[in-house]
Amino acid sequence: MKRLSYILSVLVALSMLLAACGSPAPAAVTEAPATDAPAADATDAPAADAPAAELEGTLNVWAFTNEIRTMAIAFEGRHPKVDVVYTMIPMTNGEYQTKVKAAAGTADSPDVVALEAAFVKEWVESDLLADLNDLLPLTEELKTFPSVVEVGSYDGVTKGFSYQATPGAFFYRRSIAKECLGTDDPAEVQAMVADLDKFVETAAKIKACGTGDYFTVGTPGEMLNPFLANREQPWIVDGELVIDPMVEEYVKFAKLMRDNGYESQATQWSEGWFAGMNDTLKDANGTPKKVFSYFLPTWGLPYVLIPNSKSDTTDTGGDWAMINGPMAYQWGGTWVGVLDGSPNSELAKEFVKFVALDEENLTNWATGVYTNEYLKAIDPETPDDQAQAGGDFVSSQVVVEKITSSFDNSDLAKFLGGQNSYAAFAQAAPSVNGALLTGSDDAIQRALNDPLASYLNGDITEAEMYAQWLDAVRNEFPDLVIPEPPVK
Amino acid sequence: MSLSKFKRNYYGYLFIAPFVIGFLIFGLYPVYNTLALSFTDTTLMTKNANFVGLKNFERLFADNVFINAVKNTWIIWILNFIPQVGIAMLLSIWFTNTRLKIKGVGVWRALFFLPNLLVPASVAALFFAFFSFYGPVNQFMVRYGLLPEAMHYLQSVPVTRGLVVFIQWWMWFGQTVIIVMAGMTSIPVTLYEAAMVDGATSSQMFRRITLPLLKPILIYVFVTSLVGGMQMFDIPFLLTDGRGSPNASIQTNNILMYMKFASSKGHIGAASSVGVLIFIMTSLCALGIFYFLRDRDNDAPKRSWFSKKSTER
Repeated sequence: MKRLSYILSVLVALSMLLAACGSPAPAAVTEAPATDAPAADATDAPAADAPAAELEGTLNVWAFTNEIRTMAIAFEGRHPKVDVVYTMIPMTNGEYQTKVKAAAGTADSPDVVALEAAFVKEWVESDLLADLNDLLPLTEELKTFPSVVEVGSYDGVTKGFSYQATPGAFFYRRSIAKECLGTDDPAEVQAMVADLDKFVETAAKIKACGTGDYFTVGTPGEMLNPFLANREQPWIVDGELVIDPMVEEYVKFAKLMRDNGYESQATQWSEGWFAGMNDTLKDANGTPKKVFSYFLPTWGLPYVLIPNSKSDTTDTGGDWAMINGPMAYQWGGTWVGVLDGSPNSELAKEFVKFVALDEENLTNWATGVYTNEYLKAIDPETPDDQAQAGGDFVSSQVVVEKITSSFDNSDLAKFLGGQNSYAAFAQAAPSVNGALLTGSDDAIQRALNDPLASYLNGDITEAEMYAQWLDAVRNEFPDLVIPEPPVK
Repeated sequence: MSLSKFKRNYYGYLFIAPFVIGFLIFGLYPVYNTLALSFTDTTLMTKNANFVGLKNFERLFADNVFINAVKNTWIIWILNFIPQVGIAMLLSIWFTNTRLKIKGVGVWRALFFLPNLLVPASVAALFFAFFSFYGPVNQFMVRYGLLPEAMHYLQSVPVTRGLVVFIQWWMWFGQTVIIVMAGMTSIPVTLYEAAMVDGATSSQMFRRITLPLLKPILIYVFVTSLVGGMQMFDIPFLLTDGRGSPNASIQTNNILMYMKFASSKGHIGAASSVGVLIFIMTSLCALGIFYFLRDRDNDAPKRSWFSKKSTER
């Protein structure tokens, strides 16, 4: 009898183990209606009145960048009873995208997710993000750039908001311009690169000048965005892949830049690409090389170019200038959305509001108020490199207008030899077209990288490149109609 | 059956229950679920899924991508397995040879095993940095006149494949050395002594004593390496762009499966179909290895290798 009870207790324990393994699914089912109810209530009460009650709770935020963590700490500063649990997963090779996809709808699902321009549409078009339409009145108040809202919307429902607008620019080295082109004046240099033909002529001059150690651009990758932004149609129209003529133009242009030695052959986001920003690029013989220009958007200035402009021995700060370059474009940007069915949907919505639609936060963000001291006063465990440099271009035209003049004599302006980048971006931002973004951009564009690199190296023909690319796209989009390659 | 016998059997079942339950949940169920998913168009981003029959499999064979991935996997595995076993055998023979009396065998073995302890991500990042266009390998090769000009190593098919093969070999040969050495030291010394008395040469002893007695170990190494090789993922995934570049030459089965899983909508149905085919291919090959390397000499005519194996153990 004693033995029997022992066996029984073991069996009970085992069955509990089995039950525990099976539990996530039923739990998710019962949770869903419970969380729908408060969300429905919220639409009745105007969201703007919400902060009156003190917020509390724990919020899970996932992002691919530590920028939003700075805002998360500031959010905790405003709402001391809120605890934001911040998870950062790098975007390298699509790791972040995959993790969020796999976690959505499970018990491990975050409440708030950061979404990059390359894949934000995929989420906005899915059923996984919550409807945030009741925050829309705030975008009118703050005069958020319409393209930013457009990207976060699908079928009349807005599901994501961004704190940034991301028009692109063309940054060049004043010293090289003076030496090779005879002037470093932004207006005159702009005239020399105003279209692609002139750009190529200028590239030839830069190559011929001095000892022939100057490259016009660093990588083929950064030239892609200007071309894509000037397409007539997005990648996918009515379930069919569209290879816009601008894509073929891009391939031809990249090949021309490579074959003529106008491009450094570095890989974007690699050591060689960054080395060009601070003049430490050396070829295999040890000969120093210089890169004339970089295609970078708003965020590229404070987060990519300036941090990489210094090495132990060199500093190119002050030697840069900013112009529009051959084509208007936009590049990147981070949107935030709330996952549908989040048990903290109210708090999550409040967080999105704070990050993207709060005048004070946006002003603080852009003007560099969030220093390490500021953040550590809120959360003593803040890492030392958490502070974000000012100068990021925000999505609210109200804020942009108020703070533009504050950059006139800032460090940012000194870096650009006196130019106010904020004013220049403010001019470029309204022309950004949000309609070209689709949910599949990321995968389609990443599939092009490898065949294009092989083609630029001369390992495969142009026809083989298109065939490989289209095969790769077909394998990632089982239902997509793939056209015949443009070159056979 | 008497009560006591029943009880004894009952306890036996109880003792194996944890394994069986663990296997059913973490082993059999995923396989079953993968198979079930492979007939659907399930994605991570949509709530509805449909049964699509064999469509996922048809699509795999509609173009060259899947066949290419299978080919890459086999090429990389074979090129890595032959030197791995070859060098492991050679080192094991030297280390166990009573005439050579190599000192510090334990230290060497530990050194050979060390690469296995490194995180594949850091190994891949290290090689990526070494072999980048502006990296140290190019600097060295050009300055010492070994190459006329800098080259894109990681955009060259033979170099990139070679690197994956080398890294796989380098990370895993230490493990194989340990297993093969354990096998060799378990062979009774008396056999060698008797052979020496009879005037056998080293190569005769190797072929007639070591190899036959080592066969179970070699089959084990062969099969585990095959299973691991068919699932090769981390190094080729991390070394280049996560899509098996250049020219999709290091795109292995599992990278293709992951790409389908991680594609825009997360096509887990399509990814499962790749998984199912890898499973079938690996199972058939493993069974083939058992069949062709079975002990033929003592085989009773009608005995299958299954019963043979079970009596051996």
